[in-house]
Amino acid sequence: MDLIKLSLAQIAPTPGLLDYNLGQHLEYIDRAKQAGSELVIFPELSLTGYFLKDAVYDSAIGFNEIINKNIAADKDNGENSNYGNTITNKNNEIKEQNNKKINNKNNEINNKNYEIKNNSCGLDLKKSNDYILDVLLDKSREIAIIAGFVESDEDFNFYNSTCCLSGGNILHVHRKVYLPTYGMFEEMRYFKKGEEFGVFDILGTKAAILTCEDAWHLSSSYIAVNKGAKLIVINSASPARGIEEGNDKFSSVKMWEELLSVIAFYYKSYVVYINRVGFEDGIGFSGGSCVFSPNGEKDYRLDYLDEGLLNIELNLDFLKNERFKTPILRDENLDITIKELNSIIGHYKS
Amino acid sequence: MINQHLPEIDSINFKNIHKLLVNFIKEEVGRTGANKTVLGLSGGIDSAVSCYLAVSALGNDNVTAILMPYKASSPKSLEDAMLVVNDLNINHYTIDITDQIDSYFNKSVYNKSYYDNSNLNFENKFKENNYDLKLRIGNKMARERMSILYDYSYILNSLVLGTSNKSELLLGYGTIYGDMASALNPIGDIYKTQIYQFAKHLGVPESLINKAPSADLWQDQSDEKELGFTYSIADEIMFLLIDKMYKPEVVISMGYDAAIIEKIYNKIKKSQFKRRLPLIAKVSQRTINIDFRYLRDWV
Repeated sequence: MDLIKLSLAQIAPTPGLLDYNLGQHLEYIDRAKQAGSELVIFPELSLTGYFLKDAVYDSAIGFNEIINKNIAADKDNGENSNYGNTITNKNNEIKEQNNKKINNKNNEINNKNYEIKNNSCGLDLKKSNDYILDVLLDKSREIAIIAGFVESDEDFNFYNSTCCLSGGNILHVHRKVYLPTYGMFEEMRYFKKGEEFGVFDILGTKAAILTCEDAWHLSSSYIAVNKGAKLIVINSASPARGIEEGNDKFSSVKMWEELLSVIAFYYKSYVVYINRVGFEDGIGFSGGSCVFSPNGEKDYRLDYLDEGLLNIELNLDFLKNERFKTPILRDENLDITIKELNSIIGHYKS
Repeated sequence: MINQHLPEIDSINFKNIHKLLVNFIKEEVGRTGANKTVLGLSGGIDSAVSCYLAVSALGNDNVTAILMPYKASSPKSLEDAMLVVNDLNINHYTIDITDQIDSYFNKSVYNKSYYDNSNLNFENKFKENNYDLKLRIGNKMARERMSILYDYSYILNSLVLGTSNKSELLLGYGTIYGDMASALNPIGDIYKTQIYQFAKHLGVPESLINKAPSADLWQDQSDEKELGFTYSIADEIMFLLIDKMYKPEVVISMGYDAAIIEKIYNKIKKSQFKRRLPLIAKVSQRTINIDFRYLRDWV
């Protein structure tokens, strides 16, 4: 049997308290590892909190220096990644050197940096947030980690990003493409949008990360599966909202679960949805992290509104079986799609 | 159009809403390090619902009710408030506010030197028992209660729990810096009609559910008489105007009374100031609440 063991960490990050949130991550990482999982997945902006507003500026982690180092290393070795910021996890000398540096640094900062600071504002004013990456990279030698953070680049742009770390390397960084800026959401005010839906190798399969609103655009999952993704990880910070008669779920939860089922069934993929809980200024996040199988059925689910860890197994044999029986993806006609898209774009341009 | 009416809180969705509100209190209170709340218990349904939620969230040892009757308050209000206190077995204090309210208004009326340059005849106004004076006394009472609650908030190291529902917040049927003031409000997004439904599932005593809604600021006051429409009709209309964001003309086309819609729409607009913080004149590059933007939960 071709099994993937993974854990969903449904946590309640505290906005702006990165040290505290990192502590939460480490606790769940250890629990997932003890449960025998090979991958632990956290929600959107899990390291920083969601409605950060101006605190976006204070919460950013400068990932790009390390990413660039990795990309440079790949290029030197002729291992150009297929998809932009997707980074191969093959080891090479330069990466090893980087990792050694990171490890040395970790020995100094481990055990002291991710405790809650006792000073009044909760921030350590003397250091940047970049050490958080070092701590997580080190942990990723024990278990692969997907976590959300505010990324800043060398041009001082900020992104709502999610990283996948494994074996001390950055496997992939997804920058959220669709930034909701309506109703209670104001992401475009602070974040720059990502440019692609990358696919990366993990645990012997191909995966893609879609962040919350990304998944509401069905083109995102269409792109991901046609690039080869079999595992679609959707991390989110979705507020619970909407009362319905005779429905034991909030309207927002109902819509999410219908969407996840559609993606899983029609794209014949495993859909792993990890949503946060907790409150920010009265807005409660609904939790209910879950997994939908390629038959469109919900296999596992965590409670709504409560923290929790879910340890699960995905069976890739089952996915093969579904894809054989219902070969929608095999029959997908990309030529028609691109032809139609080009004509749509041409129509609007003319 | 399907489902274009205010959703009822029924036995199925109740559980989820209850869990959300209990978690809200637990987490937002816990975050401040206080872990305790204090609230004004009027004997009405709104403060009762807030109180039951607070006890579910924090336990009866961590919730304190303050009962603040005025001489004109209905005795039934105090009785009903005590029903809640006893049912939940919570700490309570009863503080009669008659002295301070009467002292202020007696002084205003009889101390002519205050109003030497005024054409207002306060003495007559008081005697005539007119609406303006009733309203002023009512507002003063609401603010006196607020000031007591915040004093107890300090004494008991407890956060003041709000008890205003969505209907009265939208209609502006409350006193700014009076009953509208609180640290956090679990029921401010729930319409009055839904509060009744919610209260039944919470187990609030029948005696509180079965009486006409009243601010009880003066004898025989009635919300619905004063507003000029019932909550059941107003809530349906506000659900369409606010939650569904339909324009008034669309709501009229759905068969609702145009005059009531207009009245409600104007009340909502005119009371916007009550729902916001004071305006600050922008002078600097970065101004509080304009472009200095953080969550209140900012840490």
